[in-house]
Amino acid sequence: MFFTTIASILAIAVLGLNLQWGNTGLFNGGVVAFFGAGAYGTLLLGGTPQADHIGGFDLFYPLALIGGAAAAGILAWVVGRLTLHLRHDYLAIATFGVAVTFENVMRNAQGLSGGAKGLRGFTRPLEAWVNDGFIYNVLFLTVVVVLLICTYWFLERLICSPYGRQLRAIREDETAARSLGKNPGAIRLTAFITGSCILGLAGGLYATFYAFVSPQDVLPTLTFQLWAMLIVGGAGNNRGAIFGTFLIWGAWTASGWSLARFAPVEVQLYTGTMQFILIGLVIVGMLMWRPQGLLPERLVVSQSGTKKLN
Amino acid sequence: MTQLGAITAGVLLSMSTLVTGAFAQNCSIKIGAVLPTSVDWGRPIAEVAQYAVDLANEAGGVSGCDVNMILRDSQVDPKVGVDAAKALIDLDGVQLLLGAVSSGVSMPILTSVAVPSDVMMMSCCSSSTAFTALAQEGKSKGLFYRTFATSGVQAAVGAMVARDKGYGSVAILYKNDDWGQDISKLIAADFESLGISVTSSVALNDAQPSYRAEVTQALKGKPEALYLALYPTEGAAAVREWISLGGTQNMILANSLKSDEFRDNVGLQYLGDTTGTDTASPRSDSASAFIDLYKARFESEPNGPGLSNSFDATMVALLAMHAAGKDASGSQIASQIKNVTDPNGTPVSANASGFAKATGILSSGGTVMYQGATGNVRFDKFGDVSAPAVTWVFTDSGTQEASYITLEEVDKFMALVK
Amino acid sequence: MIQSLTDGILVGAIVSLGAIGLTMVMHMLRFANFSHAELLSIGAYSALVFDALFAGILPSLANNIGPLSMTWALILSMLCAMGVTGLSAVLINEFVFKRIREKGSELSMVFASFGVAMIIRNVLGLIFGLKSQLYSNDIVFAVMVSSEPQLLIKPDQVFVLLAALLIMLVLHFVLSRTTFGYALRAVAENPSLAEVTGIRLSRIIALVWIISGLLAAAAGVFYGLNNHINPVIGRDLVLPIFAATIVGGIGSVFGAVLGGFIVGIAANMALLVLPSGYSPAVPFLIILVLLLVRPHGLFGEAET
Repeated sequence: MFFTTIASILAIAVLGLNLQWGNTGLFNGGVVAFFGAGAYGTLLLGGTPQADHIGGFDLFYPLALIGGAAAAGILAWVVGRLTLHLRHDYLAIATFGVAVTFENVMRNAQGLSGGAKGLRGFTRPLEAWVNDGFIYNVLFLTVVVVLLICTYWFLERLICSPYGRQLRAIREDETAARSLGKNPGAIRLTAFITGSCILGLAGGLYATFYAFVSPQDVLPTLTFQLWAMLIVGGAGNNRGAIFGTFLIWGAWTASGWSLARFAPVEVQLYTGTMQFILIGLVIVGMLMWRPQGLLPERLVVSQSGTKKLN
Repeated sequence: MTQLGAITAGVLLSMSTLVTGAFAQNCSIKIGAVLPTSVDWGRPIAEVAQYAVDLANEAGGVSGCDVNMILRDSQVDPKVGVDAAKALIDLDGVQLLLGAVSSGVSMPILTSVAVPSDVMMMSCCSSSTAFTALAQEGKSKGLFYRTFATSGVQAAVGAMVARDKGYGSVAILYKNDDWGQDISKLIAADFESLGISVTSSVALNDAQPSYRAEVTQALKGKPEALYLALYPTEGAAAVREWISLGGTQNMILANSLKSDEFRDNVGLQYLGDTTGTDTASPRSDSASAFIDLYKARFESEPNGPGLSNSFDATMVALLAMHAAGKDASGSQIASQIKNVTDPNGTPVSANASGFAKATGILSSGGTVMYQGATGNVRFDKFGDVSAPAVTWVFTDSGTQEASYITLEEVDKFMALVK
Repeated sequence: MIQSLTDGILVGAIVSLGAIGLTMVMHMLRFANFSHAELLSIGAYSALVFDALFAGILPSLANNIGPLSMTWALILSMLCAMGVTGLSAVLINEFVFKRIREKGSELSMVFASFGVAMIIRNVLGLIFGLKSQLYSNDIVFAVMVSSEPQLLIKPDQVFVLLAALLIMLVLHFVLSRTTFGYALRAVAENPSLAEVTGIRLSRIIALVWIISGLLAAAAGVFYGLNNHINPVIGRDLVLPIFAATIVGGIGSVFGAVLGGFIVGIAANMALLVLPSGYSPAVPFLIILVLLLVRPHGLFGEAET
């Protein structure tokens, strides 16, 4: 059940990434920075006061969560304004750099974020009220799944809307779109910010679940994992994104579990290294076999062209 | 021999095997371990934990059953660690979890998995003061123990060494994680209150290709000595740079650098004026017993971050498990820890015969005092361990103790610097 | 400050060698190859194996050359390692990247390169163990070139700088004066047109991979000489190398060289202003600043 909760939270994040890459064509290499902004933001706003760093405003939980998403959005605005005009690979590295910087700041600015010790002191919402651990986890899972469904529904509507058409237009042929009077820069920025807010929301939920966040949670490994989920599942397809998340996270955890269970005792020490090799092989294999992802992007036809011209 | 005689002999023989019970367990108890086996310093920690389990099984196991340690890699990633812990608890039904190493992984495991499921956690190496705070708030429900002495003691001993050697100025190089940040702050404060000036305190990040710039930074101010709170990989890299740039060879090392890899990559010829600190292996049979055992098994001395701590963590936890009886829950096991580390109990040593002796005493309701690789393990009410200290120096084959500092002396010194 | 500057130049030489290979591959094959830095690891480890071999066969080869910790055995090993690495690079392209390029998009290749990097790194870890190793355990002392301001330089570092510059010069010569070099540049500009003139595309691509492997092996050995060898040196160097490539502009060899030095200098001088905890972020801050001013890197071109 933990697995489903974490997979659902990560699925929300991958949906946000899908908006940025699958729909808009923005190669965001620093996914973890926005996720982390949401995580840290939510804990700082909603946590109890701690001796050695700021925060602890003990805000009402939904506000704290929204605050975290907003923090991610603000970060996205700043980063977007600085970098979205760059070409593909440069954008990837620049955003990656933002993520590395974010992790560094969280690790070193002890007055802001608790430094390498991480942030504690957060009581999960309603936890005292619902006394049973198991029931609480079920409730939490329900809330996360509901949010996942809402995000999915929101993004599906977005794709079919005029805004979605604009996104596809600037992704496919920017010059043509510009000639029609659209402003690609502004459209991309809004897509980037929206996607980042969704990433921040996922980050906030993640931090809430553990009631703890530390720089270990915002390392580039997570960026890599989220991207793998999107690529394998199918970029450009929201259902693919969710499917890919469950698949990759499942493979990641199952490989650890099965290696521990089935490998002979002599090699138990090496199972960690072997797991990474397996994961690398799965990704390369997937890409060689079906690079568009398991559920490729569906071409959205907004209007059927059956009207005959007279 | 008559047929009756043969049968009788056979029956007596098999009965005697049952009595000694040495290798004929036919039940097994599972324990979980979540350790970073895919990292270079993590693998030996897991190895030594498994070794402790093997010794316990050799001695008759826990409650008459073989112990089966299920090892999972945490990848130093909180999500992976929590998931592994959850799988171990839900799918394998373990009541005891060894791990994790990194505080950033141990903390989420504790709060989201161990406490809600009433499973005991015994960490060899998580050093963050946040765990003490958590215990003080009652949130860990007495389920978290660690055999790693908190950084306050380590820092104090380091400062003592500097004072005793008469260094007037020291530079600090520390690993930029929760342990390093903590210990560097503590020792800087200790130095200041002793009147030793800290010329610079420089953080070394993981996974950097070169530490030259950091070392150059630390060289400014030409300190008389260097304090290092690093792991062997970056420690060796930094010290090689330091020495080649003409830095002083007066060095004080935290216990993480008590490592053959460090000694070999730096070279014994440059480590003549280097002193390390550690929690004490008392001058007793038990400590040398551990070293001998380890050498026999792994053909090298137990040098490396967390090794002796990991061994003791496993042994103490298994003894507590035995004392709590079969099918004990995590909190029941945790409540037996005090009976395993009772200062008035019978001393037992950290090997198979010591384990067997201890299980015998515990089964009949007595208490033992476990004397292990890190000394007379003694936990306080928050699950933290306090121990006397040693200073050590490098030798051809490993390390050797230079001086032994009792707990009282450490406490006195810490009171002095406050 | 001058110490930081000098250190930066010396460190930068290694990054430059790595960046040249990367920029050539990125420009020719149009994808960001995150497994490039693992070629450095392969080079370093191959040289380690060959070094032990040569030193075993002919012990006199294992003597240090002058004040350096470089030995003749190591130089020979480096040449052999270059061969091994070049070959590995071509094989990886043949079995992985070429197949993915036929079927997938540019992003698939980037991702596949992550996967390949993970595999290489962990296989090296399984074979050689996770601990750090060294070519030679001696610590070579730096020479105090001047004492006020303090300037210390290790002979090894000067050697690495000179060797790197020599290699870059040879490459420049090959690219600008030989037919092969012209063919390479032609293919980089416009592959179809180059094919029309009779240049065999697949051969040129293989040669590019080999060259990048050669350079990476040299960089790996130099890194191992000055620092240490372990399975994660690829992971540690990939970002500075990428930073150098981006700063210089993808496709420009000269840019990659300059970028390497810029990254090295900035990383070392950053500690004069920032606390050392932030040093991993420095190459990126440079990239961000540079890209604001010159969105295609110093000598790069707009995406074709």
